[in-house]
Amino acid sequence: MATMIEENGPSTHGQGELSSYSSRGRQKLESLLNKNMRIRMTDGRTLVGLFLCTDRDCNVILGSAQEFLKSSDSFSQGEPRVLGLAMIPGHHVVSIEVESDSLVGTQGFGSSQ
Amino acid sequence: MVMKSSVEDDDVGWGLGVPEKMRNNANWVDVTHEFKGACKELNLGELLHDKFRFGLFEAMSAIEMMDPKMDAGMIGNQVNRKVLNFEQAVKDGAIRVRDLSLPELIGIMDTCFCCLITWLEGHSLAQTVFTCLYVHNPDLIEDPALKAFTLGILKVCDIAREKVNKAAVFEEEDFQAMTYGFKMANNVTDLRVTGMLKDVEDELQRKVKSTRSRQGEQRDPEVELEHQQCLALFSRIKFTRLLLTALIAFTKKETSSVSEAQKLMQQAADLLPALRSSIEHGIQSQNDTTKGDHPIMMGFEPLVNQRLLPPTFPRYAKIIKREEMVNYFSKLIDRIKTVCEVINTTNLHGILDFFCEFSEQSPCVLSRSLLQTTFLIDNKKVFGTQPMQDMIKDALRYFVSPPVLSSKCCLYNNHQAKDYIDSFVAHCSRPFCSLIQIHGHNRARQRDKLGHILEEFATLQDEAEKVDAALHSLLMKLEPQRQHLACLGTWVLYHNLRIMIQYLLSGFELELYSMHEYYYIYWYLSEFLYAWLMSTLSRADSSQMAEERLLEEQQKGRSSKKIKKKKKGQGARPLSREITMSQAYQNMCAGMYKTMIALDMDGKVRKPQFELDSEQVRYEHRFAPFNSVVTPPPVHYVQFKEMSDLKKYSPPPQSADLYMAASKHFQQAKLILENVPSPDPEVNRILKVAKPNIVVMKLLAGGHKKETKVLPEFDFSTHKYFPVVKII
Repeated sequence: MATMIEENGPSTHGQGELSSYSSRGRQKLESLLNKNMRIRMTDGRTLVGLFLCTDRDCNVILGSAQEFLKSSDSFSQGEPRVLGLAMIPGHHVVSIEVESDSLVGTQGFGSSQ
Repeated sequence: MVMKSSVEDDDVGWGLGVPEKMRNNANWVDVTHEFKGACKELNLGELLHDKFRFGLFEAMSAIEMMDPKMDAGMIGNQVNRKVLNFEQAVKDGAIRVRDLSLPELIGIMDTCFCCLITWLEGHSLAQTVFTCLYVHNPDLIEDPALKAFTLGILKVCDIAREKVNKAAVFEEEDFQAMTYGFKMANNVTDLRVTGMLKDVEDELQRKVKSTRSRQGEQRDPEVELEHQQCLALFSRIKFTRLLLTALIAFTKKETSSVSEAQKLMQQAADLLPALRSSIEHGIQSQNDTTKGDHPIMMGFEPLVNQRLLPPTFPRYAKIIKREEMVNYFSKLIDRIKTVCEVINTTNLHGILDFFCEFSEQSPCVLSRSLLQTTFLIDNKKVFGTQPMQDMIKDALRYFVSPPVLSSKCCLYNNHQAKDYIDSFVAHCSRPFCSLIQIHGHNRARQRDKLGHILEEFATLQDEAEKVDAALHSLLMKLEPQRQHLACLGTWVLYHNLRIMIQYLLSGFELELYSMHEYYYIYWYLSEFLYAWLMSTLSRADSSQMAEERLLEEQQKGRSSKKIKKKKKGQGARPLSREITMSQAYQNMCAGMYKTMIALDMDGKVRKPQFELDSEQVRYEHRFAPFNSVVTPPPVHYVQFKEMSDLKKYSPPPQSADLYMAASKHFQQAKLILENVPSPDPEVNRILKVAKPNIVVMKLLAGGHKKETKVLPEFDFSTHKYFPVVKII
């Protein structure tokens, strides 16, 4: 299990790699990699893109991301804006959704709903 | 502002946000809770990612959402009001296209001017000029003054952009050339726009005259106000017209149009006081929190183009204040007037000096570009009249008087010699054009580019030496009493050295060097580059003299009377001033070198703890571009250490001796400069550094504050390259 590990020094790094096999959370997250993901942010915008990377603070990186605005905004009728590679800081993540088709064969996620 | 709200507060209403098609296309399953829980299992600093396709390196290039500096979309979303485009705003009655009051027109125009300036200072059109809704479609404007004005502004932008693009002396930090598909009034000709502006101008002038106070008349304050406002509008329209006409003049190919531009700029400058005094007649912007810190101004919408900005690194464009507008215009006009002066310089060396001096004021990208395009029109002829090759031949004649270019020499009409020199001069053309173009870039970029162009000059140097040798052997056969040794080579070497010196000196201006590096930089300059430069200059000088003597002798045979008179009257040698200045610079550098060594001996130079590098690494990095140069050969670190070793003197000098020596160098520089006839500002600036340094070095030599461990200060405010040393 993931015990408290200090700063990512060289000695602890190997340990982190090893423990990843024992962590269910890691497996879940890994199963989502390269899947389409939709993230709502605290300012009301939604980003849709490929899930590429995350960390302990739930900072998420989406690839080929597109930005959609709130419907109340006069521009939301327009096309989405292409952002490319975008990082959403964890504290700005309001909700995370994945496409249900992509959940087939992944354990744990979405099964409770 | 909704940035900081947390997940808990904002749980409602999110479903509305996403367009229908996104919702229907796929079944989205919420995994927020599990996802966040799983993340917590990760270690601090650990990244969960695809081991093959994505790593930390890729992660670094992601834009950060909700970061005001990177996230262009964010600012737009913070605003809780409708962002309207021009057509919508007109339909909603938010802005009017006719019946605009005079204060409204004045206010809109001033804000437009401010936007124009902000654009010229490196921001994007979308965030500056095109925040003005009126310029989006001047065809919709019914007010003739505003219509002519917006068309004028668009034309100014278009020509400025074309000039800057053509000159190609900008980098992303200087200028944004993107137009985002906006129409730059391309459906109307330049002439039509200036005509429209002139019509409006004449109409306004009539109004100004009709409201003018008459003798003995009781002045109605309302009429007086209208008079003032009409005058304000008139000045603005006329200013726009003059600016536009001047820019149009720069696009013409004749040299005469440059002096025409100069006259127009002077007329524009004469309008500036009227512009300045009438700023308060325009409506002022209001600060409204709903727009963030963008001021609200009728006809302007800072966020109208927010969605057009590229997804990376939006820059926050702070539009300059109206109070600064007139100052900026006044400086811009001065710069453009200076640019016009370049056509009065006829020789290549003079032009190079002109470009160097102009660049030293760190001018704006527009004036820099205008200078470039005035110099080489369509990259072919200097000032549109003289081929670059002819300029280069003139420069050679002026500098070394090579026999091959002298009509009195048999080589002049020799077919083979002609081929040699013509092909050499043709090869010179490109490097010299690049050198001049480099001086058009901003100061920081110049240094980098100077380092690279040394390679081209090294090749040229090689060729020059070969051509010299070929011409010499030709000459030996035809006129055995003459020589053609190191003529072209001397000239190329001279430019080589100038580039190297400028490269090193600009490091001081750009504050690249640490204090502990000063000593080897100044050493390299004084002991090496300036020494080489002076010997090169004196070789050129003696080459000139040899040629003159020969001419004299040849002509003596024909008529002895004429020549004598002419020769006697000639005083200073053409290169004497440059030789004198080099001596002064060399002494300043030598003084600084010895100062630094002595300060180091006294423990007054802070040295870094070299862990990953060493002084050698830094030294080699500083002089790396010189490795491509063959003459002068680069001085490697080991050589430098040997050459500058103080132990070779017996007894080795102490710090006091070195301070004394430094003081003498500064003294020498002062003596040289004080004897320069008609001193220019540069001479006076160096003197202002030399004088206090003489005194400080004497004090230090006498043991003043020897024990203090407080580090000395180097004040570069008087001169960019030589500091006043201050002991605290």
